[in-house]
Amino acid sequence: IQAAWNLKTRALTEMVYVDEIDMDQEGIAEMILDENAIAQVARPGTSLKLPGTSQGGGPSPAVRPVTQSGRPITGFVRPSTQSGRPSTMEQAIRTPRTALTARPLTSASGGYVRLGTASMLTNPDGPFINLSRLNLTKYAQKPKLAKALFEYIFHHENDIKNALDLAALATEHAQFKDWWWKVQIGKCYYRLGLYREAEKQFKSALKQQDMVDTILYLAKVYMRLDQPVTALNLFKQGLDRFPGEVTLICGIARIYEEMNNISSAAEYYKDVLKQDNTHVEAIACIGSNHFYSDQPEIALRFYRRLLQMGVYNCQLFNNLGLCCFYAQQYDMTLSSFERALFLAENEEETADVWYNLGHVAVGIGDLNLAYQCFKLTLVNNNDYAEAYNNLAVLEMRKGHTEQARALLQTASSLAPHMYEPHFNVAVLSEKVGDLQRSYTAAQKSEEAFPGHVDTQQLIKQLKEHFAML
Amino acid sequence: MPEGTGALREVLPKQGTGGEHCPTRPGSVRPGARSRPFSPFAGQLSVEDTATMVLCKPKILPLKSVSLEKLEKLQRAALEAAQPPEAAPPPSAGAAAPRQ
Repeated sequence: IQAAWNLKTRALTEMVYVDEIDMDQEGIAEMILDENAIAQVARPGTSLKLPGTSQGGGPSPAVRPVTQSGRPITGFVRPSTQSGRPSTMEQAIRTPRTALTARPLTSASGGYVRLGTASMLTNPDGPFINLSRLNLTKYAQKPKLAKALFEYIFHHENDIKNALDLAALATEHAQFKDWWWKVQIGKCYYRLGLYREAEKQFKSALKQQDMVDTILYLAKVYMRLDQPVTALNLFKQGLDRFPGEVTLICGIARIYEEMNNISSAAEYYKDVLKQDNTHVEAIACIGSNHFYSDQPEIALRFYRRLLQMGVYNCQLFNNLGLCCFYAQQYDMTLSSFERALFLAENEEETADVWYNLGHVAVGIGDLNLAYQCFKLTLVNNNDYAEAYNNLAVLEMRKGHTEQARALLQTASSLAPHMYEPHFNVAVLSEKVGDLQRSYTAAQKSEEAFPGHVDTQQLIKQLKEHFAML
Repeated sequence: MPEGTGALREVLPKQGTGGEHCPTRPGSVRPGARSRPFSPFAGQLSVEDTATMVLCKPKILPLKSVSLEKLEKLQRAALEAAQPPEAAPPPSAGAAAPRQ
């Protein structure tokens, strides 16, 4: 009967199992009330909170869309992909955090509670294992049962405290010689936000038994503590002991990407591909880098490789359509976009595809079609700042200045980190003669993207004008 | 994709007027006409560097990882399971409700 129980426990866990290494939803509470920072201001290049200058090279915001924190959008998104730490509470609330809805997670435990309740809902007769009546000490002494039970509590019920108790008892029982339990305790501490304790546990587990997983967990802890350089060193040391290990190289590449060092990230992703040329994440990231470096044909090759591997979703077809268009393979463009629209699972994806179709329409010169595409984007996603901006440009071409201004107002308030709406407001105001507004808008544009030549020229022109007055 | 730069507005004379400004075709012989090396700026009257509005860039959509897709699936299942009120209301209604 024990075997049956064991099997059922593990089956239930497997239903909701998401690899802890990837799970990393950081809530707003964790972000804003972070007590783990060591220094007040981090030195440039050592912190994840400050993207720093784009020292890694790569395309500028003039060519590549940026996210809220000023980082260019990546080719791959995981549960732990950060859109950067927001500086104000308001920005934090605005940042979409959950996978499905655009509403932010208030606290990381919130997301897990929902997953935990999901498990309760799937079992109409009540929970399979009643935790409150469980005698943890008894189970702690039976290592095989204890391990299955721990995973069940941790993943299915999401009851970290009980899981931690069980793990602590089990470790004691094993006389602190079992590395697996140390790793599990470390995971519990990580979930509870006790990062330094988690670090100790993982380090001790590593000393006992060198495992790639432990290295990955420890690196996660360092990333949470905002110490990317430590994490990088850890990975590099890990590579000495596990040469060619794809997950470690991928980890290094991800960290470089988070630090906005695109060229190093690209190098490491290429290393990943040398070891494993079916690695979806690496292919996607390199593909997007090539696209934004003005090499759509090479990007096309990478995305076709993904297609070969059986990846079949809306995003891939959208990217294929874009690459085909810019690589001048017009026969494939529209059918790829059609497929993308068909595969879109929710309105936000549909909005993205319509937005890119709008770009294609602008490219072929059919401005009516472009207008309709951007409007469709807004129908599907009312907060699409880029679509508002592009609609405004089209309205200006038709001469509807006031409408353009209203649209730009919406765009700039929805996405203050983008320089395009601010720059367009500046140009618009200058045309109608409202130089003061033009100047303030140009300043905001410069703040968002200091390297923009046109903004600088505009500001210079305006300054000369003001000096003359 | 070329980086956005200010558009140069060139004002060129119409074709057909100002015959001597027409570029001479290489190899053609026009009796009486001087062959002048064609210069693209020969016909320009004025050059204005005006700033034009910029479009936001096309978006390459990031692909989702397996974990993320599974997570989304679980969240969606939880939402759907929490929704039907005809069945006995789930004990976690309080926790599931703030989701909305």
